Amino acid sequence: MPARPYYSDVSVIELDGLEVRLGGRTVLDGLSGELRGNAIGLLGPNGAGKSTLINTLLGFHEPLRGAARVFGLDTRRDRARIRQGIGYMPENDSFIGNMSGVRFVRFMAELAGLPRSEALERAHQALFYVGLGEVRYRKISTYSLGMKQLIKLAQALAHGPRLLILDEPTNGLDPMARQRMIQTIQEIRKEGSIRLLISSHLLRDIDETCDEVLILKQGRVAALRNIEEERRSNRNFIEMETVGSTTEFCERLRGLGCECASFPDGRVKLVMPDTIDVRDVYVLASENNIEIRRIHRRRDSLEDIFLRAMENDPARGELVRL
Amino acid sequence: MSVFKHEYRAHTGPVTSLPSRIRVLARYALAEAWSSKITLVLFAASMLPIVLYLVGIYLANNPIARALILRGGSAQLDIDASFFLKILVSQSWLALVLTAWIAPRLVSFDLADNALPILLSHPISRFGYVLGKFIALFSSLSIVTWIPALLLFAYQGYTSPQPWVGANLRIAVGLLAGSVVWISLLSVLGLALSSWVKWRMVATGSIFAAVLVPAGVGGVASAILRTKWGFLLNLPVMMSQLWARLMGVPDSIRFGRELPNTAIAAMLVSICLVCVVMLNARIRAREVVRG
Repeated sequence: MPARPYYSDVSVIELDGLEVRLGGRTVLDGLSGELRGNAIGLLGPNGAGKSTLINTLLGFHEPLRGAARVFGLDTRRDRARIRQGIGYMPENDSFIGNMSGVRFVRFMAELAGLPRSEALERAHQALFYVGLGEVRYRKISTYSLGMKQLIKLAQALAHGPRLLILDEPTNGLDPMARQRMIQTIQEIRKEGSIRLLISSHLLRDIDETCDEVLILKQGRVAALRNIEEERRSNRNFIEMETVGSTTEFCERLRGLGCECASFPDGRVKLVMPDTIDVRDVYVLASENNIEIRRIHRRRDSLEDIFLRAMENDPARGELVRL
Repeated sequence: MSVFKHEYRAHTGPVTSLPSRIRVLARYALAEAWSSKITLVLFAASMLPIVLYLVGIYLANNPIARALILRGGSAQLDIDASFFLKILVSQSWLALVLTAWIAPRLVSFDLADNALPILLSHPISRFGYVLGKFIALFSSLSIVTWIPALLLFAYQGYTSPQPWVGANLRIAVGLLAGSVVWISLLSVLGLALSSWVKWRMVATGSIFAAVLVPAGVGGVASAILRTKWGFLLNLPVMMSQLWARLMGVPDSIRFGRELPNTAIAAMLVSICLVCVVMLNARIRAREVVRG
């Protein structure tokens, strides 16, 4: 099935001056913005308000001022309808340990409104989908940490939600289990019928799974970026350390359509058009007797975005949209 | 779609109504409560007095059987309001034991594994969650209290040679009303205490303690201060007085120091309100850390 476009006309989440106070402290301070991506990352340091924003979207916290809307439904007035269309995977352990995996997922699917037989069928499917098919009759209390993360994902998927909210999905997972979780999320995104909201403090998780990122800092919006566009713009940014005369080499690179700058110490920086591959650069270097000692492709643009966002003090209530 | 096709598809079929989600909760809670062998043992034990009372009604209405079994003894069994009060009292104690075992199973499992964020992220409110658990506990207690008691009443009406039911309808109404008040109170109390204690055994103990400790304190206070108001802390005594009035038990065989109906009602409402406050504080998807 072809992947959906990264953005659609329907806004997934709208925040309108959202202010939430918990325990006498302002946790979300006038958030405003519109999120339309298929997979939205929620980034921020600990205490930035990521989990509070998710809990507010689910209706667990009442906004003090402003409003939050999910698919146009207000979190105050349409709580039940919003929850109907959401699959939620909480950050911490959250399950009923003395139930078998399939019974637990079926229970959650029935609570979400699926008829009994349909809930059972989809519980089996969801468990196979996340890779817990073989252990679905075991009690959840006997599952490993990775399996417990996956059972939370399975119950979030079982009723076929429109929006899947994943709060720190790779929390506590070993590298293999993390990779498996990331692959599953990527498959869900690729399938295209579910929008994703993924909260994490790990840049890598967001970078690998999301196409849009909302960065929070001290309860305010620090940045909202389209990762795909950032990635695309930085994809062919290359730095090289070379030995030999680079003048003619740079001329020929420009002839191919590259933007090229050479420096006296042999460093060459270039931005390549999409039509050119790195292999062409090696061929040109060979033809001009240039020895490439080191080549560096800049990829981790999300880290730059995040660091820039953390440097600035976010303004309260500033509307951000893509 | 086969379960072997490892691919995802959205649900496009119909969904159940919002109120029916409470039934789902109640159904799973009932299954959880009755999955324990100890629950079955307690249920069987709760039926033993019913069997004895059934035999009693049979003997009371069958002179031949009475003559054969009692071998000419002159014992006379009267099936009246005080007989049914005894049934209600014995079954109510058994209902307390059953509550102490079942209520923690319904709530503590959810709290121990922090299941509330996932449960409440579905289209069900906190009230709906508590109501579902309440229905499960109330139903479980019903089958050891008013249901067998009314069946015994019906059996007495069937076996009695005189037209008995019409003349004693108040007993049936009292049985039903008294049982409903008691098991509603037990259900709310059991759920509230279980929601505050994660360990099931401690929760079981706390339910017994919540009924018996104030009763002892109230008894001591009444004896020392020579007042009847201490019995307001004594749930068993308070309920016995209420049941006796509801069923029309004659004054001559009632409990000594009578409490006014308004005081009993106010005390029961106060206990329920405290339980609701306790449930409201604990049944939440998230804990709010202050400071």
